[in-house]
Amino acid sequence: MKRIVVDAMGGDRAPEELVKGAADASLGLSDTEIILVGDAAAIGRTLPQVRHDGSLIRVHHAETVIHMDESPAEALAAKPDSSIAIAADLVARGEGQALVSAGNTGASVLACARRWKLLSGVRRAALAAVYPTELRRGERDDPFSLLLDVGATIDASADDLVTFAIMGAAYARIISRNERPRVALLSNGHEAGKGPRPVVDAHALLMAHTELNFVGNIEGLDIPRGVADVVVCSGYVGNVVIKMLEGVSETVLRLARYAYKERLLWRAALSMLSGGIERLKEVTDWEQYGGAPLLGFEHLFIKAHGRSGRKAVANAIRLTAKALRSDLLSAIASPLEAFQNRVGGPQSSPALTAGQQSQAEDSSPHLDD
Amino acid sequence: MSAPASSTWSSLQHIVRLDLDKTYLRSEFDTFSDLLKSALEKPSEKQAFPGATALLRALKQNDGYRICIVSGSPTQMTRVLTAKLALDGIEYDEFVLKNNLKNLLRGRFRAIRAQVPYKLPTLLASRVALGSVAPETLFGDDAEADAIVYCLYADIVAGKVPLDELERIMVAARAYDDDIAYTLDLAKRQEKSDSVQRILIHLDQRSPTATFARYGARLVPIYNYFQAALILYSDGLLSARQVLFVAREMIASPEFELTTLANSLQDLMRRGRLAIDVALRLAEEASEAARSGALSGATDLPPFDDISRAFADRVRQLGGARPLERPAENPHLDYVSLVDAEQEERREKKRSRVRGRRR
Repeated sequence: MKRIVVDAMGGDRAPEELVKGAADASLGLSDTEIILVGDAAAIGRTLPQVRHDGSLIRVHHAETVIHMDESPAEALAAKPDSSIAIAADLVARGEGQALVSAGNTGASVLACARRWKLLSGVRRAALAAVYPTELRRGERDDPFSLLLDVGATIDASADDLVTFAIMGAAYARIISRNERPRVALLSNGHEAGKGPRPVVDAHALLMAHTELNFVGNIEGLDIPRGVADVVVCSGYVGNVVIKMLEGVSETVLRLARYAYKERLLWRAALSMLSGGIERLKEVTDWEQYGGAPLLGFEHLFIKAHGRSGRKAVANAIRLTAKALRSDLLSAIASPLEAFQNRVGGPQSSPALTAGQQSQAEDSSPHLDD
Repeated sequence: MSAPASSTWSSLQHIVRLDLDKTYLRSEFDTFSDLLKSALEKPSEKQAFPGATALLRALKQNDGYRICIVSGSPTQMTRVLTAKLALDGIEYDEFVLKNNLKNLLRGRFRAIRAQVPYKLPTLLASRVALGSVAPETLFGDDAEADAIVYCLYADIVAGKVPLDELERIMVAARAYDDDIAYTLDLAKRQEKSDSVQRILIHLDQRSPTATFARYGARLVPIYNYFQAALILYSDGLLSARQVLFVAREMIASPEFELTTLANSLQDLMRRGRLAIDVALRLAEEASEAARSGALSGATDLPPFDDISRAFADRVRQLGGARPLERPAENPHLDYVSLVDAEQEERREKKRSRVRGRRR
C-alpha cells in the first residue's frame, strides 16, 4: 500500500478544502493510505461531511500551523509541532512515502531539506513549477511545461543544472507520459556560448554526457510558446521568470476586466469569445494539474498552489500516487547514476547546502503568491 | 422460505436481520445490464464483502441467535443466493426475497422499485410470526432506503409510531392501498418493545457519515465489517476473539491490511462511535486470547504485537482531540419528509444516469 502524508493545515483554504480534497482522492485510490496531519478535531469535523473511504484515511494530530506569511526558518524553529514539520518527519521515519502541502513553500522546502536525504549524485534539490504553453505534449496532450528550479536554491553550478535537467526529464516522462521530453537551458540566446559560465558549461555537459533530448538553449519568450517540455535554470532566474509570467497573466486578466466594464462593444466582443476563453481556462486550469514537485530528495514532495481548493488537492494527491506507483524516484535515480558514471564518480551530497538553506528561508516562490 | 438452520425459539436470545445486496454481497444493479449480469452470475462468482462471512458466522455461533435475511432481490434468485450462502457456510433461519414477477403480472409497477412498502411489512410480519421478542441488530446499506426502513421498523415495534402517522408514511412511500392496510394490521399486532438495539449501515456508496446523524446513536454507518465487529464488540455481542477472526478474514482479502483496519478503528473513535476504553479493553482481551492459545489457529494474522501497536498508534495519533458528539439517543424522526427526500434523491440519481448516457 502507498502512503501519502498531507499537510492538512497548509494553504489559504485549509483545513476544510484540504480535507475534502483528500476525501475525494481516497475514493479512487484503493491502494493508497492518506495521512492527514493537522488539528485532529477540525479534520474530524470535516471528514464526516463528505464522501470518503474511512479505512484509507488516517489522522495524525499536529498542535500548530505555520501560516503563509510567516518566515520559514523562524516559524519552523518556533513550531516544531507544526503540521508541516510533523508531516515531513513522518515521511523521514518511513510512515509515509511522499508529502503533499499547499502551505508556506519556504517552510515546506526547509522542513523537507532538514529531514530528508538527497538522492545520490544530487547536490541541490530543485522546486519545479508547471506553466501552460501553446504546444501540447505527451500521450495526454499535456499543455504544461516544467520549469525548474523556481526557488529552492539561489545559485546553481553546471552540475546542478544538469542534475535538474535529468530530474525534470524523468518527471516529464513519468507524469506527462512524454517519452522523449525536450529539455532546454534558459539563457539569453540560443547559441551554446551564450549565458553565464554555469549555463555554458551545463550546455557542454548535457550535449556530451547525457542521453536526454536536449534541444539547447532557449530564451524567455520560448517558454510560453512551449518550445521545450523541461526548462532548466537556476532558482534565482526561475523565480524571477515564473513571477513575471504570472504577473503578465494577471495584467491580461485585469485588462480584460477593464475592457468588459469600459465599453459595450468590447463587452459584446468578450461575450462572443467567452466559450473559447472558458475552453482555454479549462485547458490551462492549474487545479487540474494538482501541484509541482520538489525533486532531488529520497522522498517526493508535491507542492500544491497556496490557493488550492478541493479539486486541486485531490489532483495533487492523485499525482503523487501516480508518481509513487510509477516509481518516479527510481526513474530519476538511474539516469543520475548513469551521468555520474560517465563524468566520473558521484559528487558529494551534503544534506543541505548553505545556498539552499538561505534560499528556502527567504523564498516566496510563485506558488503562493 | 423455510429455515435450513435449526433454531430453538424458546431460547431466542437475539435476532440479526440482514439485507443481502450491497450489505452482504457486492452487487451492482444501477443499470439494466448490471441487473442482468447479477442475475446470471453463478453462486461462486458472487462475492461477499470481506469480513461479512466471518462476522455472520461468529454471530450464529452465539447461543440463541437467529439470522433473518430480507432482500429486495427477486425470488427467481433464490437458488443462486441460497447456494452462495451455503458456499460461505452461512446458516440462516429465515430467507425472504421479493416476488417482483407477481408485482409485474398484477400490474403493480410502483411496487417493483418500492423500498418501504416491501421491506417494512416483511420485517413486521417476521416479528409477528416469531411470536416472541428479542433484542435485534439490523444490517443494511446506504444504496437505498435501509436507514429509513430500519428506523421506522424500530420505532413501530417500540410503539413510537401512531397508526395514523404510519398510514401517512406509507402513502408518502407510494404504497398500494392493500399494502397499507396489511402494514397497519401488522403494526397493530406487534408486541411493543424497544427491541432494536443496533442498526448498522454499510457505506457501499460511501455516503457522508454526517447524513446519518439524524437517525440517532442507535444507527452507525460503517465502512467495513471490522467496524461492524468493533461496534458489536462494544455492544457485548462479539468477543475479542471473534473480532480478531473477522479481522483475519479481512486481511486475507487484497483490500485490507493491518493499516486499513487500524484506520477503521480510528475513524469510529473520531466519530465518537467507539470509546477509547472499549478499544483498550478489546486490546487487552485479544491479548489474553492470544496468550491462552485461543487464536492458535490464526497463523495468518499479523503478529499480535504489531496489531496492538498499530491500534495504540491510531489512538495516540489523535492527540487527545475530542471526538464528534454522539448523535441524540432517541430523536423524533419525520418519516414522511425522509421518505419524500429519499424518493427525490432516487429520481435525481435516475435523471443524472440518463444525462450521463446522453452525453
